[in-house]
Amino acid sequence: MSASEGRRRTLAGLAAAAASASPLARVAEAFLPGPPPGPKSAPSRPVVAIGRREGLVTPAGALDMNVLQAALGAAVARAAGEATAVASMRRLFKPTDVVGIKVGCLGGRGVSTRPEVALQLAAFLQAAGVPADRIYVWDRTDRELRAAGYVIASGRGVRVFGTNEDYDERLVEWGPSASRFDRVLATELTAVISCCPLKDHGLAGVSLTMKNWYGAIHNPNKLHDDNCAPFVPHLVACPVIHDKLRLSVVDGSVAQCHGGPGRAPRWAWPYGGFLASTDPVAVDAVGRQVLEARRKEVGLPPLAAEGREPKYIAGAARLGLGVADLSRIARVEV
Amino acid sequence: MNGRRAFVGRLVASGAGCALAGARRLGGEPLQDPFAAGSSLRVEEGGLNPTPARWFKTLPDGWVECEVCPRACRISEDERGTCGTRENRKGRLYTLVHSRPCSLALDPVEKKPFFHVLPGSEALSLATAGCNLACKGCQNWEIAQARPEQVPGMTLTPADVVMKAKRMGAPLVACTYTEPVVFSEYVLDIAVAGRAVGVRTVMISNGYVQEQPLADLCHEIAAYKVDLKGFDPVFFRQHTGGELKHVLDTLRRLRKHGTWTEIVALIIPTQNDSEAEIRALSRFVRDEVGPETPVHFTRFHPSYRLQNLPSTPVATLERARGAAMAEGLRFVYLGNVPGHPGENTYCPGCAKVLIRRYGMAMAENRLKGGACPDCHRTIPGVWS
Repeated sequence: MSASEGRRRTLAGLAAAAASASPLARVAEAFLPGPPPGPKSAPSRPVVAIGRREGLVTPAGALDMNVLQAALGAAVARAAGEATAVASMRRLFKPTDVVGIKVGCLGGRGVSTRPEVALQLAAFLQAAGVPADRIYVWDRTDRELRAAGYVIASGRGVRVFGTNEDYDERLVEWGPSASRFDRVLATELTAVISCCPLKDHGLAGVSLTMKNWYGAIHNPNKLHDDNCAPFVPHLVACPVIHDKLRLSVVDGSVAQCHGGPGRAPRWAWPYGGFLASTDPVAVDAVGRQVLEARRKEVGLPPLAAEGREPKYIAGAARLGLGVADLSRIARVEV
Repeated sequence: MNGRRAFVGRLVASGAGCALAGARRLGGEPLQDPFAAGSSLRVEEGGLNPTPARWFKTLPDGWVECEVCPRACRISEDERGTCGTRENRKGRLYTLVHSRPCSLALDPVEKKPFFHVLPGSEALSLATAGCNLACKGCQNWEIAQARPEQVPGMTLTPADVVMKAKRMGAPLVACTYTEPVVFSEYVLDIAVAGRAVGVRTVMISNGYVQEQPLADLCHEIAAYKVDLKGFDPVFFRQHTGGELKHVLDTLRRLRKHGTWTEIVALIIPTQNDSEAEIRALSRFVRDEVGPETPVHFTRFHPSYRLQNLPSTPVATLERARGAAMAEGLRFVYLGNVPGHPGENTYCPGCAKVLIRRYGMAMAENRLKGGACPDCHRTIPGVWS
């Protein structure tokens, strides 16, 4: 089987999982022009790009792939200050990189990173010159990935797989804890994207791109005290993550403002868009803002009033990982 | 995957996944599922054996609150508590490790250490994966700080365990190595099964347990050893991730239940070795647990996240022992110092040696009917 055949087969496998798979034949070429280039992200004023589109989520709950490409492409483009998503990817990643897209699938269908979104990011990467067989989509287990609609793909082309307890043997000391990291992350990947759903978390307050990294270590169960505040910033600061993290994306096609981390349909709504930034703290701060706004809209109290202030976001800023102060974040609708 | 296989292979090769240092590896037995053929258990992928948990309450929106340890983890569906072994499935809590030990060995009871429980006996010792604390100096972190899928296990029902102990001539089953509180349902079932055939069950625990499960366990087990990791609340929190007050409550409750209790205090250089702390600990034991409660000051060796500290000087342990005895404790021992006189049991009445030990072995036992043969003073313990 040739490389291109393998890739097609992998893509076909992924496509089978996607509810609206018909446009997938086009995804490899999908680098729709984004908005005009804005100012480059500067450390003092990071950009969080928000790409929302009417019709992203169909009445049946599927994603319209054309709308997805437009919305996600615009957000990714602006996040890195480029004209197109592909240009952004080209700026952030080298063809020689091995790129991991860490998705979040704990919530099953409905409140996990949608396969179509991960696939679209993979398509942008390929269009930017990263070979398909150097792109990995992964989460904790095959079981959780399948439950969220993914098809495990281990052949040539974009790989989709769970860690399945394949943790690196080395115990890495980090701040208040120590963990074994996903072996592929620790030993193979040179660059990563965190791509998580936009959702509430009953202990952490919100679970966004930074907390998504709990799914890459062997002992996340140990790290939920005090709304995860002592842990998330130090975990993200670990070189195995921090040195490889190029882009953080929140899949808000369907979001959930309460009852997480599991699925709670009563509190889910079609936000219909994506958040993207090269600053993981900023994108989480804006994601939290979106969730808080929705909570207010539906009559829920602020997270802090429920004892679930996601303090780790400010903690990450204090650790120098990014900007949490909303007044210092360029929140750009694209 | 190769990484996991290599890690597991090393665990097995080092003995950590099956039998820990000083233990007698069970001769020639395969690690995996020695009883699987005869067992009716259907173990899930990953070696999980979901069994309804005994102590929990349901919460709105499908959440549950675990009531086995003071963490009282609130757990959403498909998630687990801090210990990594108790999972919410469709609004009910399950223990995933019942009948799934990851370590099994025949140890001298002195290794636990229990010095006042059937001296010279052997204890069939077992653990499942997981712990509710995260001590920086964890000696068994490969299994204690892991989820059950991450370590190799075997299937061993409570009946299997006690029959195995019986066959091997062990009068005790010791639930140890990791934290038996997180597998309390299994402990309880072993204890009940053992009672019918004369095999007693003991726990070697951090004492981080809620009142009701402790009461249920005390009803069935023969003895409870508490690792008292320190006596300064700040140190305790930083070192273990837990709260000292809960362990002190457990010690008070053990006295109320009348369960035979021994205490181990691992002395870590510069961390919990001040004389003031040792004296405060000793006064607490004297006043609230009882002056005849055996206390073992054991020697720390670098491990897990405390690789930067030296082993405890023997002189530090000797000072701790002296301070504890000066506070009125009657049975104070040194641990991990083979050949030291502080390993022996002395009669508080006449100061004669009653039980002589070397390391984990008992060399001589002069007790007669649980009393000193010289001055006839009764020595507390489980002697027969």
